[in-house]
Amino acid sequence: MAAVTAARPVRARRRRPSLWALFWLLAGALYFLVPLYSVAQFSLETGAHRYGFHWYAQIFSDPSFRSSFLLSLRLAVETVAISFVLMVPTVYWVHLRLPKLRPTMDMIAVLPFVVPPVALVVGLSGLFSALPSLLASSQILALMYVILALPFTYRSLDAGMRAIDVKTLTEASQSVGSPGWKTLLFVIVPNIRSAMLSAAFLTLAIVMGEYTISSLLLFNTFAVYIYYIGNTEAYQAAALAIISFVLTWGAMMGIFFVSRLAGGRESVQIGGTR
Amino acid sequence: MRGETPAEAGERPSAHSSRRATTVAAPEPGDRVRRARKSSNARIVRWAGVLPFFAYTAVFLLFPTVELMVKSFKGSSGQFTWANVSQLFQGDFASAYVTSIEVSAITAVAGGLLGLFIAYAAVHGRLPAFIRPLLSTFSGVAANFAGIPLAFAFIATLGPTGVITSVLNGAGFHIYNHGFSIFSITGLSLTYVYFQFPLMILIISPSLEGLRAEWREAAQNLGATPAQYWRHVGLPILLPALLGATVLLFGNAFSAYATPYALSGGYINLVPVRIGAILSGNVIVPNPQLGDALAFGMIVIVAAAVSVYVLLQRRAAKWLQ
Amino acid sequence: MSEPFHPADEHEAPGISRRELLRYSGFGAAALVSFPSLARLLDASSKSPLAAVTSSLPTSLGSGGLPALIKAAKQEGKLNVIALPPNWANYGQIISTFHAKYGLTVNSAAPNDSSAQENTAIQTLKGQSRGPDVVDVSPAIAVSGVTDGLYAPYKVATWSTIPASMKEPSGLWYGDYYGVISFGTNMNVQKTPPQDWSDLLNARYHAQVAIDGDPRTAGDAFAAVYAASLANGGSLDDIEPGINFFAKLKKAGNFVPADALPANIAKGSTPIAIIWDYLNLANKVQFAGNPAYTVSIPKTGVYGGYYAQAISKYAPNPMAARLWEEFIYSDAGQLLYLAGFTHPARYADMAARNVIPASLAAKLPPASEYKGIQFASLSQIAAASKVITAQWGPKVAGS
Repeated sequence: MAAVTAARPVRARRRRPSLWALFWLLAGALYFLVPLYSVAQFSLETGAHRYGFHWYAQIFSDPSFRSSFLLSLRLAVETVAISFVLMVPTVYWVHLRLPKLRPTMDMIAVLPFVVPPVALVVGLSGLFSALPSLLASSQILALMYVILALPFTYRSLDAGMRAIDVKTLTEASQSVGSPGWKTLLFVIVPNIRSAMLSAAFLTLAIVMGEYTISSLLLFNTFAVYIYYIGNTEAYQAAALAIISFVLTWGAMMGIFFVSRLAGGRESVQIGGTR
Repeated sequence: MRGETPAEAGERPSAHSSRRATTVAAPEPGDRVRRARKSSNARIVRWAGVLPFFAYTAVFLLFPTVELMVKSFKGSSGQFTWANVSQLFQGDFASAYVTSIEVSAITAVAGGLLGLFIAYAAVHGRLPAFIRPLLSTFSGVAANFAGIPLAFAFIATLGPTGVITSVLNGAGFHIYNHGFSIFSITGLSLTYVYFQFPLMILIISPSLEGLRAEWREAAQNLGATPAQYWRHVGLPILLPALLGATVLLFGNAFSAYATPYALSGGYINLVPVRIGAILSGNVIVPNPQLGDALAFGMIVIVAAAVSVYVLLQRRAAKWLQ
Repeated sequence: MSEPFHPADEHEAPGISRRELLRYSGFGAAALVSFPSLARLLDASSKSPLAAVTSSLPTSLGSGGLPALIKAAKQEGKLNVIALPPNWANYGQIISTFHAKYGLTVNSAAPNDSSAQENTAIQTLKGQSRGPDVVDVSPAIAVSGVTDGLYAPYKVATWSTIPASMKEPSGLWYGDYYGVISFGTNMNVQKTPPQDWSDLLNARYHAQVAIDGDPRTAGDAFAAVYAASLANGGSLDDIEPGINFFAKLKKAGNFVPADALPANIAKGSTPIAIIWDYLNLANKVQFAGNPAYTVSIPKTGVYGGYYAQAISKYAPNPMAARLWEEFIYSDAGQLLYLAGFTHPARYADMAARNVIPASLAAKLPPASEYKGIQFASLSQIAAASKVITAQWGPKVAGS
C-alpha cells in the first residue's frame, strides 16, 4: 500500500536544487577552473608585476594562428559530418538487427586508442602510393580523424541508442509506412540528439587537438601551431592555451545552438508511465 | 519482456526488406526453400547495413592494424622473429605495461565516478536549465585539453612551487614533505582525471537523461527505498553504458602520450612514452618492428579489457533480471 | 507501472550462423591480404620514373657553377622544408633571407617534427609535390636515413671546410650547426646560478634542476646526461657516470622531471634549465628580463652536439634543395646560424679567415669557454643510446 506522503501539496516541477547536486557541480567547477587559473594568470604577466593582454595580441596578430585555426575548424566540421553519416546508421542498425555484433564493434571502437598514429600513417602508405591525390590536400586528415574519433562517437551513439527504445520507435514508424531512412532521420535522430551532441563535441575537440598525424603528413593544423608555440614561447603559450580553450568552447556552443535551431523539440517519450 | 527477437523482426515484412508476406499456412517443402532463401536474403540485407562501416574501418584502421601486428614478428630484414615480442616481457617494458594499466584503471574508475556524480547532478539535480549545455561544452573542451598546456597547468598548480602547494604550505601542510609529488603516479593520475571526468560526463549524460524522473517518483510512491530503486531500475538501465564508458576511459588514459611526456618526460614508465622514444624520437635509431610489437601488446591488453567488459555485461544482464 | 524496456542484446537471437561468419570473415581476410600486394604492385610501377630522375641529379656544383644552379632552382620555383621552427637556430631569418635572395617560395611545415618523424615524412610523402626537399636531423637519425636509403648525396662548394667528424664521406649528410650543453637560470627564482655540475647537488637548488624531457627521446636531454658524464669521471665511451649523476641529483631532491620548456622556466617550475646553449640564449632574448635570465657554459663537461642537413632522395624540388644547401653553407648563411646563437659547422674555418664580425661573436659566450668541447662519434652515440635506454629507467625514473 502506498504510504501517504506528507500533507504538503505536490508542487510544480521546479523545486529547489538538491544540495548534493550543488556540491558535485561545485566540485566539478573547481577541478575545471583551478588549474586554468595558473595558466590564465601567467598569460597576463607582461613584466615584473605588470599585467596586460600583450601576449594575446601577439597571438591574434600571428597569421599562422588564424590559418591553422580555420584549417582545423573546417576539418572538425567535415569529420563530424562524415562520422555522423557513417556511424549513426551503423549504430542504429547494430542495435536493431545485429546485436550480436556489439562485441566486435566494441573491439573495433577501441582500436584507434592503441594503434600509434605513426603506425596508422605508415600502414596507409600503400594506399597513399596507389592514390597519391589523397595526400595532396588536407581532406585525408578528415578521413583519418573519423577513425581517431571512432571510440568516442561510437560510445556516445551507443549510449544514446540504449537510452531510447529503438525497436518500438522503429516499429511505430514503420507501422505508418515510413521507409527506413525516414525512420532514422525523423524519429531516431531527434531522440538521440544529446548523444549526437556529445559525439560532435568530442570529435571537434579531438580534431582541434590532433597533432601527430597532421605533423607527419605536413599539414599546419591548430595543434601543430599550439605545439610549436608551447615548445618555443613562454607567455604566448599560456595565452594560446586560454585562447584555444575559449575558441573551442565557443565552437561547441555554436554547434549546440545550431542543433537547437535544427529541430530541438522535446524528444519523443516512449515507455513512460502507463 | 520483449517477446520478439531482432532476428525475427528482420524477417517480418517491413518497408525495407522483402515485401512478401510471411506464410501462415502449414509449411510445405517449397515453403521451406522459399523461407530459407528469404531468410538468407534478409541476412544479406542485414549485413549490408554495416557494410559501409566495415569497408571504411577495413581500409583506414583494420588494415594498418593487421600490418602492425604482422610487423611485430618481423626483423629488420623481413625475416620472422620472436625477438621483438619477447622483449615485451622483459624488465623495463614489462613494468611499463604494469604501470600503464595501473594508471589507466585508476583514472578510469576515479574519473568515471566523478564524472558520473557530476553528470547526475546536472541532469537530475533540479539545477537551472542553462547548466546542462554549459557543462556539456566545458566537458567537451576539457576532455581534450591535454598535452603541454595541461601539464603546465598542473605543474603550476600542484608542482613544488605551485599555487595550491604554496597555499597549503602557508597553512602548515607541506604536501611535498609528506610524500606527494605531481611527478608521481598520484600526480599523473590527478592530471589524467582532468580529461577523464569530462569524458564520462559527455558519454553518460544521455543515459542519465533516459532515466526518467517520473520513474524515481513512481518508485518512491510505491514505497521503494533509494537502494531498491537503483537495484531494480537505475542500474539495469545505466550499467551497460557505464561499463562501456569505463572501458573508453581506460583506453583513453592508456594511449595518452603528450600529457605524461610534457609533465615529466619518461619519469613515469608508460608504454606510449616508450613507443614514442623508439618510433619518433631523436636519440634512438628507430626500430619500427619493436615499436609495433609494443603497440601490439597494447592491442592485446585493450582487447582483454573489452572482453572483460563484454563478460561483465552478460553477467550483469543475468544478475539484474 | 510498465516494466522498463530491456536493451535488445539481452535476448541474443540466433542471428548469424557460424559458417556465414567464417565465410564473411574469410572474404574480409582475403581482401586485407590482397590489398598490400595490390598496393605494392601499384607502388612499384610508380617508382621507376622517379628512380631514373634521381640518378641524374648533380652531386656537387657542376661546370655551370652557382649561376646554373640558381637558374635551375628558379625554374622549380619553390622549396619544401620541415621541422625548422623560426626561433630555433635563427631559421626564421635564414628562410626569409633565402626567399628574399632567390625569390623561391619556401613552404615550412611541421615545425615540431622530431628527427625520426622527418624521415617518416620523406617516406610517406614520396612522390608528392608536398614532400620535404631537405631535412635537419640528429646524427642517430641521419644514420638511420642512410640505412633506409632516404637521402641523395651532395657536396656543397665549401665541403672541405666542414669538419670531418660532422659529415658522411659520400655527402649523404653533413653537420650544419652545433651547440654545447649549458646552464640557464631564472634569476627571479634563484639568485645564485650554478657554475659547474658539482654545484647542482647543492641544497639551494632543491627541486629546481631540469633537462629537456626524456634522454631516451630528446636530443638535448641525452646530451645533458652525456655532458654530466664527462664532468663526473666518464668519457665519450662511457655515459654511465652521467646517469649515476642524475640518480644522485634525484636522490638529493634537486631534480625536477618536468620538461624545461620556456613556459616552465619563466613560471619558475624549472628555474634551472640544462639545455643547448643556443636554446638558453634564445630564451634569454625572448624573456627580455621577465624573468631575468643568466646563461653559462659549465666549467667541466663541455659536450657538443650537432644537427645534420640532408637532401631527400625523393625531393620534389631537387635543384632548389641543392641551392638551399649551397646557401646555408656559404659564409653568409653560416653567419645567420651564428646570429641564432649556434656555432655554424664551418666556425673554425671562418674564424681562421677572420670573416666573423666581432659584434656577432660577442653575442655568444667567449670562445675560451668552449675550449674543452668534445663531440661523440656515431658509434659512441649508438653505444651510449643503448646504455641510456637500459639504465635511465631503473636508475633515475620515478616509480
